[in-house]
Amino acid sequence: MTSAQLFYVINLLIYAGVDIVACLGLSQQFGVAGVTNFAFIIFQAAGAYTAAILSLPSQAANGGFQSYIGGWNLPWPVPWIAAAIVGGLVALPFTFLVGRRLRGDFAAVGLLVTAVMANLLVTDYRPLLNGAAGLSLVPAPLQGEYNPLSQSYQWVYAAVALVLAAAVFWLVQRVTESPYGRSLRAMRDNDLVADSLGKNLVSMRAAMLVLGGALAGLSGAILVGFINLWAPSAWGYAETIVLFAAVIIGGAGNHRGAVLGAILVPVGFEEATRYISGPPGLVDDLQWVAIGLLIVIFLWFRPQGVLPERRRLIGAGPPPVKPLDMPNDLVMMPGSPRAADATSHDGLAGSAAGRPITRSVPSGAQPDGGVVLRAVDVTRDFGGVHAVAGVSIEVRRGTLTGLIGPNGAGKSTLLAMLAGTLPVTSGQVIYAGADVTGVPAYRRARLGLVRTFQLASEFKRLTVMENLLSAVPVNRGDSLAGALRGRRYWRRDEEAAIARARDLLDRFGLSGYADTYAGDLSGGQRRLTEIMRALMAEPAMLLLDEPMAGVHPRLARQIGAQLLGLCAEGMTILMVEHELAIMDEFCDPVIVMAEGAVLASGTMASLRSRAEVVEAYLVG
Amino acid sequence: MSLFLASFGFGLVTAAVLAIAAVGFTMQFAVTDVLNLAYGAVMIASAFVAYALNQAGVDVWIGLLAAAVAGAAGSVLLNQGIYTPFQRRASASGIRAPITMVIVSLGMMLIIEFGLQAIVGGTNVSYTMSQGPTVKADGLVLTTVQLVIIGLSVVIMAGVHVLLRYTKLGKAMRATAANRSLARNCGIRTARIVTLTWALTGALCGIAGTVFAINNGSFGATSTDLFLVVILAAVFLGGPGQAYGAMAGALVIGLATEISAAYINPSYKYVIAFAVLLIVMAVRPGGVLGATA
Repeated sequence: MTSAQLFYVINLLIYAGVDIVACLGLSQQFGVAGVTNFAFIIFQAAGAYTAAILSLPSQAANGGFQSYIGGWNLPWPVPWIAAAIVGGLVALPFTFLVGRRLRGDFAAVGLLVTAVMANLLVTDYRPLLNGAAGLSLVPAPLQGEYNPLSQSYQWVYAAVALVLAAAVFWLVQRVTESPYGRSLRAMRDNDLVADSLGKNLVSMRAAMLVLGGALAGLSGAILVGFINLWAPSAWGYAETIVLFAAVIIGGAGNHRGAVLGAILVPVGFEEATRYISGPPGLVDDLQWVAIGLLIVIFLWFRPQGVLPERRRLIGAGPPPVKPLDMPNDLVMMPGSPRAADATSHDGLAGSAAGRPITRSVPSGAQPDGGVVLRAVDVTRDFGGVHAVAGVSIEVRRGTLTGLIGPNGAGKSTLLAMLAGTLPVTSGQVIYAGADVTGVPAYRRARLGLVRTFQLASEFKRLTVMENLLSAVPVNRGDSLAGALRGRRYWRRDEEAAIARARDLLDRFGLSGYADTYAGDLSGGQRRLTEIMRALMAEPAMLLLDEPMAGVHPRLARQIGAQLLGLCAEGMTILMVEHELAIMDEFCDPVIVMAEGAVLASGTMASLRSRAEVVEAYLVG
Repeated sequence: MSLFLASFGFGLVTAAVLAIAAVGFTMQFAVTDVLNLAYGAVMIASAFVAYALNQAGVDVWIGLLAAAVAGAAGSVLLNQGIYTPFQRRASASGIRAPITMVIVSLGMMLIIEFGLQAIVGGTNVSYTMSQGPTVKADGLVLTTVQLVIIGLSVVIMAGVHVLLRYTKLGKAMRATAANRSLARNCGIRTARIVTLTWALTGALCGIAGTVFAINNGSFGATSTDLFLVVILAAVFLGGPGQAYGAMAGALVIGLATEISAAYINPSYKYVIAFAVLLIVMAVRPGGVLGATA
């Protein structure tokens, strides 16, 4: 090879390193955590500028034709480290967009607009970063000691870039394949549900912004150290879309896919089309059209990418005695240790793992005369409609309390306010003797107040086993720091959680489905998965929103029996249900709601004798 | 004072252009739940349709009509050919529909905008037209063309108002926007309403693109990149999906950008729109000015 060809190869290797680092950052944010960061490129720019102004000598010493802040002439690797730090710090404030309240697509648009404006501002304001002309003559790392133009220097540079890319791969893999990574994927699949299971969405998204921003910043530093210049034209908002194309084509949610995408799109595609000749600008334009087409075509024909997210096989443990084809056989499964007396309450006491499912209500519950949960004059308005108007209820410890009422009575709204998914317009929610009205849903879940949802709410791209594990309240690996410390640090918590999950799967007869994606289950199996997942959260009190809707009546009765068993162990349950037969058989007491207010409460037998209740609901 | 009045005049013209664009954008969002980021690209593509006719000797105001037709056709095609199939599939599998849609719309923006640039080239062009005599009133200086743009916008806003309030089609649109499946169950042919809405808003998009190009003087394929920021600011200020909110938002943002341009560096005038957008998103994502429409 001639030296020009060699230089080209080195070029490609360095670009590959840069793009792999950037794509892995985006893959972590978008593919794993579901944070759609349309401003990704500005964090790469922040890193590149940081590295540039830290390694450049002062303006005057550099010929004085550029205008920039800094110019500290710091030695490598300080500028690179600082670039990663600045990239992360600059990303942090955007938590206000992606944090909690805003729809994902709105936040994405906000970030896109930010990228457009940031580029405009840097272009038009010269004193800070030399405006549209950008910074040039940026020193290569250690150029005092070595000759950056020598081939050996460039080979080493390429090697460093690729080693860093490998290290970043190891890092994001470590984060993703941990309990914390599972929580991130749960948030990606359904953030509202993750919130209700005790996941702090704001802190997880902030962590992902910072991690992705730091990786973007690092990629910018590696790039600017090699090309020695950096200008606004290098980081137009559309460059982010190229990286998105790479991650989508490679396979969102699979870091190997991100590496492949980085090699295919920003490196391969751009290089392959570089030498096509044509009128000036035309090839560039067609490149952009092709990037757009690639995104749309892949999202249509192969949304999972070339290398789809792989299924995490945690294993069903010992294989089930016979594969289940219908969930109807549930509790009666021959392999179940308690099959013989599954419908009796004590059949559920104690588990194979030797750990009761229920945890006791936090202290402070007792002085309230056994009342675990109390709503005081709770109201919720939607526009001008009073969905819930001044409801006060009490739920006593160890009861399976029913909540019935016609459609639109406000049952689900009440439940959402009790769980914290919806804020109250006025009124108080008191749980275990403490006022939790202002406590966010994820913290209520951590206090043991856990809800399920009326509509199917499984994490579709997590297996059943992972769905269950995602709800475990205490796992040392369920934080960024814990995940970074590695499997050895959290393995014991994980194994205990898996044992509990297997036990639950056994009881509910779904062992054979442990490694099935929850999105592939039947309706009844999804409801079961959701109940099991809520139990994995170790609730003291469960709020169930129509857990038996759409479930075979026989299965529904078995679920009812299971729930009664849990109550006998000391759990408290408030259950919304339409089916009166279920209420008759399992619930005591029962609260009747109509038009946003409590109509009556008591045993089903007593309710049936009250004219206004019968009129409002029981008859029609 | 004359500086203020002059910039106020510019602000009114910008608000007039913006109102046409923002109402179209927000109504698309209302009936389909898609933030159509390709909107600016369709705008400028339509403006180039008018330009092609204008080059062939046709008056630009007739070109405006052709742009409206082109915008309508392009938007219906975009929705029927791309957005609707993606949405249908997303709702079938139930995964993250809005995010997929916003990425798809971003891809479509690239395709349309740079596809257009590949055809028309990267240099800016202008319509051949007369600006007409200048009208002065107490320091407020506007050309006849600018007055026509303001008048056109007022007429269109009145038309949208009449449509939404007093016609069966408008009521069906509002019903579809509020709850599509409920509207369908009430006997409204929602698929047809959605298509009609895209045709109508596409026409607004085409008109907005042409008056934007007229008002700008010179324009190129990527000229609407920044204007999209301003449209989004007006739409979010008024509450996404709220037609009347978008009108009010357009007035506020149009005046704010132009008046601020008179006092600060004009190249930063869009920063106001940007700041408003981010603040509204952070504080009141449902919009500040939105009337329930």
